[in-house]
Order: sequence, then structure tokens, then C-alpha cells
Amino acid sequence: MRYEIPVGPLHPALKEPIMIKCTIEGERIVDVDVIASQNHRGIEWIGMNRNNPVQSLYTAEKICGICNLCHPACLTIAVEEIAEIQAPERAEYIRVIQSELERIHSHLLWAGVAAHELGFDSLLHYVWMVREKVMDTLEIVNGARVPKDTMMYGGVRRDIKEEHVPKIREMIEYYRQAFNKLAKLFLEDKTIKMRTREIGTLPYEEAIKLATTGPTTRASGVKKDVRQDMPYFAYPDFEVKAITPDILTGETIGDTYDRIVVRLLEVKQSIDIIEDALNNMPGGEILAEPKIIKLLNQIKKAEGEAIGRHEAPRGEDIHYVKLKSGFEYLYAWKVRAPTYINILAWRTMLMDMQIADIPIVAASIDPCLSCTNRVIIAKDGKESILTADDLHRLSVKKTRRLMR
Amino acid sequence: MNAEEIKQKFEEAGYETWMKEREEGVRIKAKRKSLWVKVDKDKIRDAVEYFIEISDVYPHFSIISASDEGDEVELNYHFTLGFGKLHEEFSVNFKVSIPKNDLVIKSITKMVPAVIYSEREIREMMGVEFEELEDKRHMFLTKDFPDGIYPWRRDETAPKETNKLYETWKEGAK
Repeated sequence: MRYEIPVGPLHPALKEPIMIKCTIEGERIVDVDVIASQNHRGIEWIGMNRNNPVQSLYTAEKICGICNLCHPACLTIAVEEIAEIQAPERAEYIRVIQSELERIHSHLLWAGVAAHELGFDSLLHYVWMVREKVMDTLEIVNGARVPKDTMMYGGVRRDIKEEHVPKIREMIEYYRQAFNKLAKLFLEDKTIKMRTREIGTLPYEEAIKLATTGPTTRASGVKKDVRQDMPYFAYPDFEVKAITPDILTGETIGDTYDRIVVRLLEVKQSIDIIEDALNNMPGGEILAEPKIIKLLNQIKKAEGEAIGRHEAPRGEDIHYVKLKSGFEYLYAWKVRAPTYINILAWRTMLMDMQIADIPIVAASIDPCLSCTNRVIIAKDGKESILTADDLHRLSVKKTRRLMR
Repeated sequence: MNAEEIKQKFEEAGYETWMKEREEGVRIKAKRKSLWVKVDKDKIRDAVEYFIEISDVYPHFSIISASDEGDEVELNYHFTLGFGKLHEEFSVNFKVSIPKNDLVIKSITKMVPAVIYSEREIREMMGVEFEELEDKRHMFLTKDFPDGIYPWRRDETAPKETNKLYETWKEGAK
């Protein structure tokens, strides 16, 4: 007997709205349909019809709360290419540091969520306690824990000052010490292994075919990382190497466990990049053109199209921008956040899994539904609703069952 | 195969191409390359098929972007190739113009399954019809979003009723 279970619109993993419609036979998932959204914030429309390009930078920052640097970064890369603006060397380094700080906080946030989905809440609290160090650093550098508002065409708005450097170095040391404990907790715990090994597997071929990005694709063995492949900002200086799970475990399975491995290793990689950037940071200006009106006029005169690509914590973020001379707004603007493409892989990952695996498998791609989905459907027709709490309860139950 | 070789292959097959480059990095320099290929709307499948055939690995699909160009709608199919190697990736972008009086193009979902969400999005936002696209449900707009209104268009089909709240605090508005 087949049943259809609509998981969502409240997301089982993230309390963000999306619907995963699963067809099940008993406990086994036999089909998956993702209903992405029924409500659109129209961010691209605002950029194309209401805001000037500088205002759009701040709108882009609001696309996603967690990775709020990567969207303005993409937009900046594209506009700088069209308008032929070159950011000063120091600014390119600050951009790298800011990007990596964002990756650390995003990956640690995800690690906490993953622990929660498995019913391991003490680990959630521990990871989020550890995460506070990077949040404090962000606050010191940017004046706020989450929004950065630092990207600007031709540079950055805030310098990393002398007095910030010891604080950042202290954070680096803190994470170097915390890393081994985190790795032990996540990778050697028997229960986590049972709930994630060979669960939600995405084979290499499928990862390529479905065009997945970021840690989701790297965990399947695809060595794809924009920082390595097509570097931007000051990234060529760091010769970043894409991280795949075999570096640590000697094998690549492409399951949920491997996605944990990749993200943990990437935290370590980010710390190294930040340290390298601090050691080699050039001096000088941080903005090519500090006068916004002058900058806007330069952009307004520019004509052409370009693509901005940035390795966000969840994967590759892409913005296509077209500017027309004399046109006040962005003539065309297409935002493709990483989750947009990664949710395609849910079907492959979830097939033949159990209902209780849905939360952790869905969360394993680190979905950021604000990137993709802006919706709440209270109830769709006669379908019964399995709430996030129900799913969480099922997930906790499965953990307990396995522990017996 | 690098960007120049792919460019040459497309030129040999009779496509119009052009390359854009931008240098990045401070101590070590690397070039970001994007290859643009102009494709007739009837030949999109041929172009993508040819691209897959000449590529060493399966190309990575990124997104389809669109812009309203007056009498035409312009679509850009963005792909990347050469990933996995230090500083060797480049983007390959197919540019297709579709006249507004015949806004139809063939779907490439059979060759590139990852394109499905993007085709669904372009369909609802730009009003381009994708032939043989199996799933034609709305992607981001509501189920009951009216037909004939396309948010990304710049003509009479663009949404007219928008948020008035903004107008009230716009500079100079009364």
C-alpha cells in the first residue's frame, strides 16, 4: 500500500518553508517530489525595477541571513567586471577573510542543526557554544553578529584594523584547539555513524549529473570548489584545494556522514586561509572610489553582462548581471543560490530511506530555503500534515531504537 | 580541453563565439574566463548535445538567465567546465534570442536533467514556452498566479499592481 506524506511546508530540518512530498510503502520512501515555493519575494525584480545598483547590494545581502556576504559578493564580482572597477589589494584580502569567517559560522551552525535532527541536543548546544567565538569575531570586525554590510563595488566598507588582528588570531587558536574535540564528537560517535553512514547517499555520477555544488558535491567525491577552480578576490594567492572526505577517511561514499566530514575539514581550511591572509595582508586603501555618487555614475554609464561566482558555505552562488548604459537599475539580474540546485538531489538521496531519515538527509545538503523558497502553505487540499515536531520525534525514536 | 580549444571547436561547428577574461589575485594571478556562444533558438539542443560530446567530463549546469530585449527575449544557458583543477575552470554560456511573437524553445531536460527548475522558472517569470518540458507546474509563483503576467518582462505583460507602500516613502513622493 502506498501513501503520500507531504513533509512541509514547514521544513522538518530547518523550520523554513518547503514541501517534500514523499510517497512511501510502509517505512520505505519510493518517490519524492519537491514543491519549492508558492510565494516569491521578488528580490531580482526589485533590483531590476526599483533599486539602484548600490541599493541592490544591500537587498542582495537580505537574500539570505546566514550567508549574507556571498550574494553581495557575487553581485560585486559581476558589476566590477562590467564597469571595469578594480578593488585595491587590501580590500581583496579583507573580502577573503570575511568570506571565510562566514563559512566557519555557517558550517558550525549546520553541525548544530545536524546534531539536533539526530536527537543529540547536548551536541547541538556544545557546537553552538563553540560557534559563539566566530560570532564574537564577526561582531568585533563588522559591528554586528550577522549582517556584514561590508561589500561595496571597488572594495569593502570596513577595514580590518590593527586592534582586530589579535582578536582574530585568538579565534584561530581557539578553533585549532576545538577542532579535534569536534571531530571526535561527530566522527567517532557510534550513534551518529549509525544514523548517517550510508544514509542519503549521492553517488559521484549523480552528483555530477544533477549539477550539485559545494560540500554536497564534494562529499560525493567531485573536486569542485570555485575558490580552487575559478578563483576571485585574492583567492588565487591561497591555492585552495577542494576538500573531499577521502582526505580524512580514505574513502568516499557520498552519504550524510561524508557531508559532515567535508564541512568539518572546511572549518579547518578556513582557519588556515584566514591566518595566511592576516600574515600577508597588503596595506593601502580599501575602496577604489569612496564617493558613492561618483561610483553610481560610473556604473550607470557601463554596458555589458557578466557572471559573478562565489563559493558560499552551501556551494556555488551565481549572479548574472546585465547593465545598460543610462539605465538606472540592473537591466537583468538572476540570482542562483546553491540550495536552488542542491534540492534536486533530495530525490536521489531519499529514495529507499525511511521516514525518520528525512530530517537528517534533508538537512545534510545544508538547505537555506530563503535562497530558494519564500512560502507558507497552511494546508494543501485534503493532505494531512506531518509536522516538523512529529518528524523530529520519529527521528529521535529511531536513534533510541538503534542505541538499544 | 581548455577554454580556447572549446571555443575553436564551436567555431569549427559554425557557431559565433567570443571570450571574456578578467584577472584576479594579488600575489598570484589567475584568469576568470567566460566563453559565450551565440545559438539559434532551433539549435539549442544541437549546441548542448555537441557541447556534452566534445567535453572531457559532463559539463556543470549553473542556471538559465533571461532579459527582455524589446521584441525578443534573450536567454543565457550558463555552464562551467574544467572544474576540479587549480585555476582551470571556465564558464560556457549559450546565448539564445527568441522573438516575442513565437516564444517557444525546446526543453533540454532530457540531456541536462538539472535544468528542470530553471526552465520552470523562466517559463513562469518570462513566459517562454519549453517544448517537451514534462513538468510545467509553477516553480516559485503561486498556483493561482494569473496567466499572461510575467514578472521579469519589461512590456505590457509586466506586473502592474505592485506594492504601493514603497511609492509612499520613495524620495519626493507625496
